[in-house]
Amino acid sequence: MKSKTQFAVGIDLGTTNSVIAYTAIGAEGAALEPPEVLPIPQLVAPSTVEPRDALPSFLYLATDAERSAAVFDVPGAKKGRDYAVGQFAQKQPADVPTRSVAGAKSWLAYSRVDRRSPILPWNAPADVPKVSPVEASRRYLEQIVAAWNAANPKAPLKDQHVVLTVPASFDAAARDLTREAALAAGLPEDFVLLEEPQAALYAWLADQGDQWRKQLKVGDTLLVCDVGGGTTDFTLIGVAEEDGQLTLRRIAVGNHTLVGGDNMDLALAHHATTAFAAKGVNLNPWQSVALWHSCRNAKEALLAEGGAKKHPVSVLGRGSKLVGGTVSVDLEQKAVRDLLLDGFFPVCALTDKPARRSASGFREIGLPYESDAAITRHLAAFLTANATEGSGGARPTHILFNGGVFKSEPLRTRLLDVMSGWFDKQGGPAVLSGNADLDFAVARGAAYYGAAKTGRGVRIRGGAARAYYVGIETAGLAIPGAPRPLRALCVVPFGMEEGSQADVPGDEIGLVVGEPATFRFFSSATRKQDRPGDVVDRWTDEELTETDSMEANLPTAENAQDGYVPVRFQSKLTELGVFELWCISQAADQRWKLEFSVRGDAETD
Amino acid sequence: MQRFILALKCFLAILSDRAVAARAAALIGEEAPPQTTPVTPSPQTSARTTPAAAAAAPARSDALTLLSVLQREARLVDFLKEDIGGYEDAQIGAAVRDVHRDAAAALDRLFALKHVMDEPEGSDVALATQNDAARIKLVGNLGAQAPSRGRLQHGGWQATKVELPQFTGNADAARIVAPAEVEV
Repeated sequence: MKSKTQFAVGIDLGTTNSVIAYTAIGAEGAALEPPEVLPIPQLVAPSTVEPRDALPSFLYLATDAERSAAVFDVPGAKKGRDYAVGQFAQKQPADVPTRSVAGAKSWLAYSRVDRRSPILPWNAPADVPKVSPVEASRRYLEQIVAAWNAANPKAPLKDQHVVLTVPASFDAAARDLTREAALAAGLPEDFVLLEEPQAALYAWLADQGDQWRKQLKVGDTLLVCDVGGGTTDFTLIGVAEEDGQLTLRRIAVGNHTLVGGDNMDLALAHHATTAFAAKGVNLNPWQSVALWHSCRNAKEALLAEGGAKKHPVSVLGRGSKLVGGTVSVDLEQKAVRDLLLDGFFPVCALTDKPARRSASGFREIGLPYESDAAITRHLAAFLTANATEGSGGARPTHILFNGGVFKSEPLRTRLLDVMSGWFDKQGGPAVLSGNADLDFAVARGAAYYGAAKTGRGVRIRGGAARAYYVGIETAGLAIPGAPRPLRALCVVPFGMEEGSQADVPGDEIGLVVGEPATFRFFSSATRKQDRPGDVVDRWTDEELTETDSMEANLPTAENAQDGYVPVRFQSKLTELGVFELWCISQAADQRWKLEFSVRGDAETD
Repeated sequence: MQRFILALKCFLAILSDRAVAARAAALIGEEAPPQTTPVTPSPQTSARTTPAAAAAAPARSDALTLLSVLQREARLVDFLKEDIGGYEDAQIGAAVRDVHRDAAAALDRLFALKHVMDEPEGSDVALATQNDAARIKLVGNLGAQAPSRGRLQHGGWQATKVELPQFTGNADAARIVAPAEVEV
């Protein structure tokens, strides 16, 4: 800990909204203050700056005229800014779609594209400037860092204890890229990465104080169900006992699932568009975006149990003829409930699986949105994959809701109803309530965790959320035209503790010197039994997911045997949650670090 | 007599304030004396020659900033400036619902309005002996004796914060409440 550290700061870099919260670390033994949210000054219109509690994670790339007019300048930043982030940028896709970047975070986790090359806005015309997903993330974080430093000139962020959250489903490469963007934005070198669902639980712990021990007991299993704007994330946390103390341990995390609240708003807007079309009103793109906004607001009223049978949804006239140009349509409550509840939270069995994308020879590159939007089926598959022996699926005794979607009471109720059907007499999970504002829980929880790391407060034991494997081509008879069979060598076991390392036993591997050595790299959220050195011969697509390959550039060494250096692997998980893989030479006292090569090469297999 | 006092005030103001002098000259049709700091600066000069002054004082009044917030977020100016005489009530209602929702959200965010008195309207309330006239307006039969109780007719409104956006543009843009939109 740095001597100038006064605050623990949590930053939630979200898919649609980013938030920063903080708490004073204070003196040893002092009680932790509940973390507070720091408003972030941002452009809400050209030349207009307003602090808001959240920074929408949107980027608008300015034209030359806008840049020279300096309308996107913000206090504290360099003059002549050629982009805007936040509230103003969020509204720009309706007006200038080809210059608007959204969902940069989802792109960070997508290994089929090079996330350091300028590819966003995706599919924008050639004469529009582009940025990389890493750079877009850096700009969001830079605005947040500036907000902190402006509010705390005597306690700059680089001196504070900073925790940045990532989805539990982010693999090592996505975490690495997030870290790269964060360091470039001005976060301190020793900032810590924390999984979002854990942060949500920390927020609950922060608000409960010591009361939490009365709500959970040894043997309980807690499901954190986090449905944000763009992503769905599941995490299971177990309650155990160590030295007479209750402890929390993260048991499992789900896969990266690209479905969230935005999909629901879009589905409702699509439904309303059809209703307009039936009245002979065809909406233009601008009106469609306005409709999306109206639908988001109407959603609550339409979902409410016992609410009005019909609810009007309007799109205001675009020009200054506001009233005259307004078109409206009545949406029927039943149709909307069917659409959202049965579309996104359908009643299903624990044995159900999400419908898979139909196999086709050609798939357009772009974010891999889920082909099945049913969150309940994704949850069923997650619980089944993490079943304990003799059970059909892991049974959570408690559930913690997180993410803006669950502000809606009908959606919470539906999910609980479906889950209680899965476990017969044992019943569904009990709700852990108390996270006051679901939009800010992750950032507040991250700040609490930062303070807890200094020795106060309870900590969730986690370790690696996935096991990692290096792909090794088998030696053997090559069949012309067919790739050599591939085996996966486990280098990081599931649950490997932060701050530990593992030497991977097994045969030595010959590395070619003088040219880059590249390894295919895989991860698994379900193979919890594999130890370092274990070799997996065959696997299903659900078991092992290929991620970015790793490479090392080995300089020519004098003790190379016939151009090869015999090496073994050593893996490491740092205290900061950073994964490292090293090649240790078996011939000399040398080692090389493998780096992710995020060039979208997973597509070329 | 009143005009005499006004003339005297003008005389002193013109002598002491160059800006007033310029306006007075314009008023009686005379050329204003040459001056280094224009009173109503032309936008071009203000942005380029006096950046320090522009940074010190906001280029736009808070009233216009608020108006542009309400227009941007709730289309309030569009609504108020439109002639609604010819429309059916249902048509107006459909539009107003959205304007109302968004304008209320903006007011809440910027001012966090709450009642001056929280008691339900129509209930009997106790009054302090020293009434704060800014907070509580007494109506009805007011005698010499300060009343100790009354019936609350209107809870009043107060801002619990004032957080207007900060306008960083130049004087040129300061009077724009909403830009014209042209699709290309």
